[in-house]
Amino acid sequence: MTTSENAHEMEKIEIVTDVLIIGGGYTGLKAADSIAGTGYHVILADQKNSDHQARSSLFGLKADFQNQLDELKKAVNGNNNIEFLPDVNINSATGVPGDFTIRLTSNGKDLEKKVGAVVVATDIVSTPLNHIYGLDFSDKIVSLSDFEENLSSADFKEKLCNNKQTVAFLVGFAQNGSPLLMKRILDSVLAISEAGNGATAYVYINDIKVAGNDLERLYKTGRDKGAIYFKLTQLPEISQQSDAPVVSFHDPVVRSDIEVEPDILVLEEAMTPSQINTKLAGILRIDLGPMGFLQTDNVHRFPVNSNREGIYVIGSARDIQDLSEAWTDVENTVIQLKQLLGDGTKEVPKFRAVVDREKCVTCLTCYRCCPHGAIYWDDKAVISPVACQACGICASECPQEAIQITGYTDDELIDQIRNAISDVKNGDPKILAFCCENSALEAGKAAALFHYELPKGLRMIRVPCAGKVDIHYVLSAFIEGADGVMVMACHPGNCKSETGTTFARWRINNAYQMLEETGINKERLEFVTLASNMAPDFAKIAVEMEKRIG
Amino acid sequence: MIVAKRKPFEEIKGLIQGYKKILVVGCGTCVAVCLAGGEKEVGVLAAELRLSQKSEKEPAEFGEATVQRQCDREFLAELDDLVPEYDALLSMACGAGIQFLAERFPDTPVFPAVDTTFIGVNQDVGWYEERCKACGSCVLGMTAGICPVTMCAKSLLNGPCGGTNGSSCEVDPNQPCAWHMIYERLARQGRLDKIIEICPANDWRNQKPQTLIQPGYEERYESGK
Repeated sequence: MTTSENAHEMEKIEIVTDVLIIGGGYTGLKAADSIAGTGYHVILADQKNSDHQARSSLFGLKADFQNQLDELKKAVNGNNNIEFLPDVNINSATGVPGDFTIRLTSNGKDLEKKVGAVVVATDIVSTPLNHIYGLDFSDKIVSLSDFEENLSSADFKEKLCNNKQTVAFLVGFAQNGSPLLMKRILDSVLAISEAGNGATAYVYINDIKVAGNDLERLYKTGRDKGAIYFKLTQLPEISQQSDAPVVSFHDPVVRSDIEVEPDILVLEEAMTPSQINTKLAGILRIDLGPMGFLQTDNVHRFPVNSNREGIYVIGSARDIQDLSEAWTDVENTVIQLKQLLGDGTKEVPKFRAVVDREKCVTCLTCYRCCPHGAIYWDDKAVISPVACQACGICASECPQEAIQITGYTDDELIDQIRNAISDVKNGDPKILAFCCENSALEAGKAAALFHYELPKGLRMIRVPCAGKVDIHYVLSAFIEGADGVMVMACHPGNCKSETGTTFARWRINNAYQMLEETGINKERLEFVTLASNMAPDFAKIAVEMEKRIG
Repeated sequence: MIVAKRKPFEEIKGLIQGYKKILVVGCGTCVAVCLAGGEKEVGVLAAELRLSQKSEKEPAEFGEATVQRQCDREFLAELDDLVPEYDALLSMACGAGIQFLAERFPDTPVFPAVDTTFIGVNQDVGWYEERCKACGSCVLGMTAGICPVTMCAKSLLNGPCGGTNGSSCEVDPNQPCAWHMIYERLARQGRLDKIIEICPANDWRNQKPQTLIQPGYEERYESGK
């Protein structure tokens, strides 16, 4: 068992410094080049799907980027510190940061790789949306990708001008879109205007998304050069009779119905995350975010960090990104990797979370509950000191009370509960607040500092995460004489440990039922979510609790 | 614990007949404790099977593996690489473990090497007695800690039948009458009035496959998490 004396004792461990990069697209190549450049051995695994064929336009790049890409490829191929594995399927991933074991198949051959960190750099893919518009592709109705490819040919551009063709774009009616998609449209529009006199671009668009670098300028330049925008809230009517599509709509500016017969109709497309993201999330045990990108919104984490230490999600693996954003991610990852892997030896806290191997029955509850993927097992549960964030969710879920968090052991917390309650003068309602140190604790401290009215009998107990609040602590507080108990967590979606607030809420809902069963008014218990800047709310909630139970 | 008994050797041989490469899979929890299907029994059974194949022209091969529990998918995952090398699995886990193993490897035939018998207690080394039928509605509070569902041949809930012979059961003179034992213990504790209370019939509709979610864990599965 740990005591406060050895709580900060450190130990040196050896870790593997090889880095696995999943995804051999533009971001993956750049990551391989940069990470190998810092001296780490890199395994660059390209997937089975066609990510490596990702089109440069998808990243908002013009065709002339090809030369740069070729150079990057050459650098990667010529680097002895980079091992390139083609046609890769990731089969399993076990272990912890500094010591992951990845089993994969490359070209049909099974391989096992030991790596210290994993970088996921899967690319976006584009998906046609013609089915939402109810249109079939033809010579005259094309996807944005196909149009971009046509534009790269001089013949095509010449034909556009000489035949004085009109090109109409449909954007923002089938989806919300993104600035990167907008950039692609704006680039194409500009290319048409710049091809020479003759060709005209019409853009039928819902919202114009210019919240990105340089997009406002691109938009303006395009308009100055003759592109015509119709900002419509409703999809124009499009008939696909015979050969030529006819676009009819109500122009809100001239207030009349207009019909246009464009020579080419270009349809927007969806930019979607790589389809293997979902599978990778399962194998790597990282959270899958909105739309299938590999990141949830968590204000406590650096952009490239996943919920697991040592697993990074970069570029279009985590969001729709253009290449400059993706390559910024690469640089950030290099910084993170240097911090994590260092020179292969690492100082870690010896007793951050301690498993009592006598008590552990290897039920796997902790392994299943840990939001950081920090727990594995030999014949008993083992907590990686590198990966553990000491949130204490495992400790409060362990059915054997076999896990203790240094500084927040059950004995220490029960003592604190007892002392806090006996500290309150008789006559004052005794209110105990379990406060997450990331939010409510700061709010509570600020409330006291700024002299908000607070109950005299209010005492705060610091916890590393609301997920550490054991149902037993709540019941003990009432046994020790508390008149009211508040469990104060971060707002949903704002928990540093991702699921701590949720675990706390589940437990408190269970506790409500237990209180009712034991004849205690459940109004004496309250589950609250707060942010650290909510001192007035903290005070108000505490005062209301005092009134309610007083 | 769940208590199992190894199947007769001839039956096991019959089950795996025709298969050339068989993995004997043990379970390191209940069936290990009751000396039926742990690592040791896996070794013994595999050896016995190899011996019986000695005279064969093309003897079948037997592999051995024991996981901590066959009723947890994380432990079964340890077999993922091993199983494809075999054309049949012989599980020494309880019925639940065998089914979970078969569910994880649906392409590979799985055969039981033990008969799961009961939930019971350990009287001495290798000696187990049944104590619980997992009926889902425990009456031990009114029956002095003696289960009539398990211990009475008819699972009667409200006193003995006419076949009670004083202290023994009519089906077997060596089997004590459960209700006699209940009466004796209630009398000893001065709680004989308890025997008068009518115990409602068990809801035997619970005899369909059941799912249990512990209180406090319900919300997480409601939310689909």
